[in-house]
Amino acid sequence: MPRRQKTVVVTFGGGARDEETFGPEGQENIPHLMKELIPQATFFTQVVNRGILGHYVATASLATGIYERFDNFADVAPENPTVFEYFRKGLGRPVNDTWVIAPSNGFNRIGQSAGGTFAPGFGARVVLPKHLLTAALGKTSTNPSGLEFLLQDNYEDMLFTPPSVQNEIQPSKLTEMLHLSADDFTHHAQTLSSADELSVYVMRQLMRQFAPSLLWITLHDMDVAHTGAYSLYIEGIRRTDRLCAEIWQMIESNPEYKGRTTMLILPDFGRDSDFSPSGNGFQHHRTGDPLSRTTWMMAMGPHIRQNRTVDRALDSVDLVPTLGAMMNFPTPLAKGRPILEVL
Amino acid sequence: MIAPGELRAESFARYPPQARSFAVANLPVLQRMPLILIALVLRQAIQYDWCFPREREQLSCQLDLLGRMDAASFDALMAPFSAIQLSVELRGLDWVSEPQQFSEQLTAYLWSQHQIDRYHEAAQGYQRSLEKTLAEKTVTTPRWTMVTVGQGTQQTELPLFRRLLPHGTLFTNVDPSDGLEVLLTEIRSRAQQYPLEYGHWYIEGGELHAGSKGVQGLTVMSYARLVAAAKREFALLNQFTNRAGGGGKVGVEAVSSYIAGLNPDDLGLKGTSADDVLRHFEVNVLTQGAGCQIYSTTFVQWASRECLHRAQPLTLFARFATRQRSAPVEQLLARDPLQQPQDPQGSLADADMGAYYTWINQSRLAGADQSRFLVWFEGHGVVCAVSPTLPRGTTSTASVNMRQVLDWMR
Repeated sequence: MPRRQKTVVVTFGGGARDEETFGPEGQENIPHLMKELIPQATFFTQVVNRGILGHYVATASLATGIYERFDNFADVAPENPTVFEYFRKGLGRPVNDTWVIAPSNGFNRIGQSAGGTFAPGFGARVVLPKHLLTAALGKTSTNPSGLEFLLQDNYEDMLFTPPSVQNEIQPSKLTEMLHLSADDFTHHAQTLSSADELSVYVMRQLMRQFAPSLLWITLHDMDVAHTGAYSLYIEGIRRTDRLCAEIWQMIESNPEYKGRTTMLILPDFGRDSDFSPSGNGFQHHRTGDPLSRTTWMMAMGPHIRQNRTVDRALDSVDLVPTLGAMMNFPTPLAKGRPILEVL
Repeated sequence: MIAPGELRAESFARYPPQARSFAVANLPVLQRMPLILIALVLRQAIQYDWCFPREREQLSCQLDLLGRMDAASFDALMAPFSAIQLSVELRGLDWVSEPQQFSEQLTAYLWSQHQIDRYHEAAQGYQRSLEKTLAEKTVTTPRWTMVTVGQGTQQTELPLFRRLLPHGTLFTNVDPSDGLEVLLTEIRSRAQQYPLEYGHWYIEGGELHAGSKGVQGLTVMSYARLVAAAKREFALLNQFTNRAGGGGKVGVEAVSSYIAGLNPDDLGLKGTSADDVLRHFEVNVLTQGAGCQIYSTTFVQWASRECLHRAQPLTLFARFATRQRSAPVEQLLARDPLQQPQDPQGSLADADMGAYYTWINQSRLAGADQSRFLVWFEGHGVVCAVSPTLPRGTTSTASVNMRQVLDWMR
């Protein structure tokens, strides 16, 4: 891989169904994906997740290329090596060359596997924007009232207590690294309308400061569907659609990224079908029915064929070997196969 | 823990009286079931004292049928469940006295072992087989479900009832002036004409309409009345997590088990022994339905789903109201939803989807091809009516009133 080639992976840690996105009736919710990004992308219409349909464990599976089996709500690291470890070890990259922007405290262990034998210490740095904001709010004179909506941690089980975060980097150190004062960060947060916007803001800072070669962000707003409020779920999808376009604009307007970045966008999985009797439609992803397991992926970048649709079914665990093949590092323990259409 | 074949009458000592009698009466067939299925059956049987008549009937029919089967047919039906391997830990749980907790552990185990799809296939195959064998109960009269959305919403640009239109007729010029009274009159009339215990329901997203009070044979529940119980539920959960976690975190399974064990008294739901079944149903709705404690739209959708699924009523009137505006969960859990700014447009979109789901849930019941379904944008002139007497996918702009629409649906 040329030294300056970069990859950005955008996952949705809140499943979205075809009928609210790329199905005929859902396209009105994703104007940016439809009109701006699809024409520049190779679009895969079927990505099947055969693993556990919980957002942390599913995202961890995307990152390891193996269907992880741990309790979705447990404070554990993935058992198998992550793509970040493969990347750093395989290419000898420094710690700041791969970052994960995670949507909730429950994702704080995703950067480094628990296995410890493959590449201990080669994980990604994980930034938890909400954790960052919480810390900043504690250090600023600004009245924190009104920013709680940016700190929403988890929708899947509203009564779940997220694990206490033990990051390798202290929030104060992180804001310093990102050249953000607590006041600036807090003030900017006040202009945002959701937790995902906060994540994208942090992503922009990371791209400016470190220009990591492998950057992974998980968006989470649409998982508000678990409250059963369809309008809020749709609102989350529309915001995510806009943020995906913004991320691409960030890539195209940043000289470190422009013209040398591949972006992959994929939800971790779908949501239950309206017609699955054991489910309650869009609200959850508990039935394991085909709709809840099947989603899509969009790939775009200088080496990706534009305006192309691929209907063959991919597997979620194909992502890691594909990233390895694209960026030229081995992924020996990952399952799945490289997706030839993007290589 | 014992194996199913070792079950004895004493095994059900911790069951409520009617549940215990039911289990003991069906002991021979229970003893023959594989663990996965028996736990599923016992999860329902332990609630027998608070089951609706239709649920009791179905449970009895199911076990009667299994009891009458010859050994070969029985074994063939059980084979998909028997083929799923369970861990020693699962087998060691007290699945007789705590079938709900067993189910939660089982689900987590099946997902982790990638066996959830096999389990679903087994469950669906079992269900299909039962439905094929057990003749569907004849419905005395076609079911009617009437839904109103948009209570308190002045106007909207939302294209309403798009999902339902292919199945019915959209009326766009209905005189709204006495629409609610006409619907309530219809409900009262049906409750009187077809008396049936828990056969006619009114589920309200706000305050109960005065016209529903004192109607003989009409089961009513409202979000406004249950908000206090929902707040009590959250308070109890807080106490539980603080107590159990000692300031640390408590596992999701522990929280689920605690919630599953709550009863009407715990939530401060007062009533008489005559409405004990309804009080338990209300507890089930509040403790099992995600989001229905904080959003009235979710409450009406979920309560309607559970009502149709469990009570299988002849008449259901589901009236959506506005829900409070979105906020961080901590605030949603702490504040009074009835005293907050409302989100009328979001509520209307929620209710539109909720109405569609209510139609789907009605369509799963016996006699679906003869069922009637009506949804009305309350206070406005838009109605979608689904009935075998009306064309599908048609829009009528003719000036009509609600009474006429109901008459055309008969």
